[in-house]
Amino acid sequence: MTGQVALVTGAAQGLGLATARRLAREGYRVAVNDRIDDGRLSVLATELGGIAVPGDISDPAATSAMVAQVAAHWGPVEVLVANAAYMTMSPFLETDSAEWWRHIDVNLSGHFRLIQAVVPGMRELGHGRIVIIASGWGVIGQANATAYSASKAGLVALTKGLGRELGPQGILTNAIAPGFIDTEQLQVDADDAGISLAEMRRVYAEQTPIGQIASPDDIAGAVAFLAGPLSGGMVGQILQPTGGITRTRA
Amino acid sequence: MAEVLADAPVVLVTGAASGIGAACVKLFAERGWRTAGLDLRASATDVSVQVDVTDATAVAAAVARVASELGRIDHVVTAAGYYEEGIDVVDITRDQWDRMMSVIVGGTVNVVQAVLPGMLARDSGGIVAISSELALAGSATDLHYVAAKGAVLGFMKSLGAEVGRTGVRVNVVAPGPTDTPLLAATSIWREPEYLAMLPLGRLVQPDEIAGAVYYLATEGSQYCGEVISPNAGAVI
Repeated sequence: MTGQVALVTGAAQGLGLATARRLAREGYRVAVNDRIDDGRLSVLATELGGIAVPGDISDPAATSAMVAQVAAHWGPVEVLVANAAYMTMSPFLETDSAEWWRHIDVNLSGHFRLIQAVVPGMRELGHGRIVIIASGWGVIGQANATAYSASKAGLVALTKGLGRELGPQGILTNAIAPGFIDTEQLQVDADDAGISLAEMRRVYAEQTPIGQIASPDDIAGAVAFLAGPLSGGMVGQILQPTGGITRTRA
Repeated sequence: MAEVLADAPVVLVTGAASGIGAACVKLFAERGWRTAGLDLRASATDVSVQVDVTDATAVAAAVARVASELGRIDHVVTAAGYYEEGIDVVDITRDQWDRMMSVIVGGTVNVVQAVLPGMLARDSGGIVAISSELALAGSATDLHYVAAKGAVLGFMKSLGAEVGRTGVRVNVVAPGPTDTPLLAATSIWREPEYLAMLPLGRLVQPDEIAGAVYYLATEGSQYCGEVISPNAGAVI
């Protein structure tokens, strides 16, 4: 339908995977990225009729290489979905400097460089959409996830600054700050908490005002909105499909 | 134009005869929805009811008529309103204040109270209220309008808290300066110097507001008392 070229980082699983599939279904030509190709990425690329561009986004050489690879195949990236992320949780005083920098390097600096790599192509075309996956925790904060939350808050400010700076050139930057999502991360959280996956889902649903957590498809829908024709008036905005977590439930 | 099926979902739009309301009607109809309009004037909808939204009894009757003729009301958009600018706060008359509150806050509340019981009984449905970016960041010489739109924000956020655990979703779209008949030709929001400062460099188009409303109606199940801002970058 659109034929536009999209690049999705962190596409091997979770909401990156759901997003890549959704965009492909809507007619985008989709390039999928993840840190390494352990087989999943190339299988996905084949499924979507797209291409796999593995590479660690915290590596500056890798980011420019993946954008060049997409451009050589289809031309400039028109829609960038900046989704890849690193997350660990630890109490603030037990978060060492290496952990802090790993969050900043991947979540914030990685996408800073990746966006620098795609913008010249978008400028040439005179249009482009940058969809940044931030986090609800980057808006409201989270105990024991200060490094992660700070890196995501950095993405919120990056979104707003890019919205202002690139908007006049026809490049619209917006972000999504999701709450709890039913992805593979839930099993990690369940293991950390020493409870079952089902119990983990229940705990998170209970913390969410609407009483349920999001599916990856819900967030993929938000990406499709921000990438597509219905959101032409949106720039520098942060969508919050969080089930209402901004306010702690009474 | 999608084929409209007899059991297609129904959107009820207030202020459906012009501007943002009319753009919502058009987009939902294009996507196969059946449409109902509440407006002082006739609207290009499947069921057009001419009614004043400040009249709670008349609104309740209009909603009952739509539900009866179309069989269901899946989504509601409260877009009825008007705008006045260029009035210093001390010059806002009691009548100007009361009328603004009555149409924008009262109209929204009247419609919500009329449609909510049916939605709660079915445990599904959605309501999107049209507020304004002015209510997010304030504005000068249109304080009665901004105060009314701010009240709509508070009302809808609280409604989100009240119905959050049900299948009903209530949210807000806060447009930026939009190219509708409500914005006078002499409006400060149409001045080139102002528009040049916006990241998009232009007014928002009514169909861009409708796009955000349609997204919330069709894929908005995770939003609860949220505000979506198609505002050309007026408030970031």
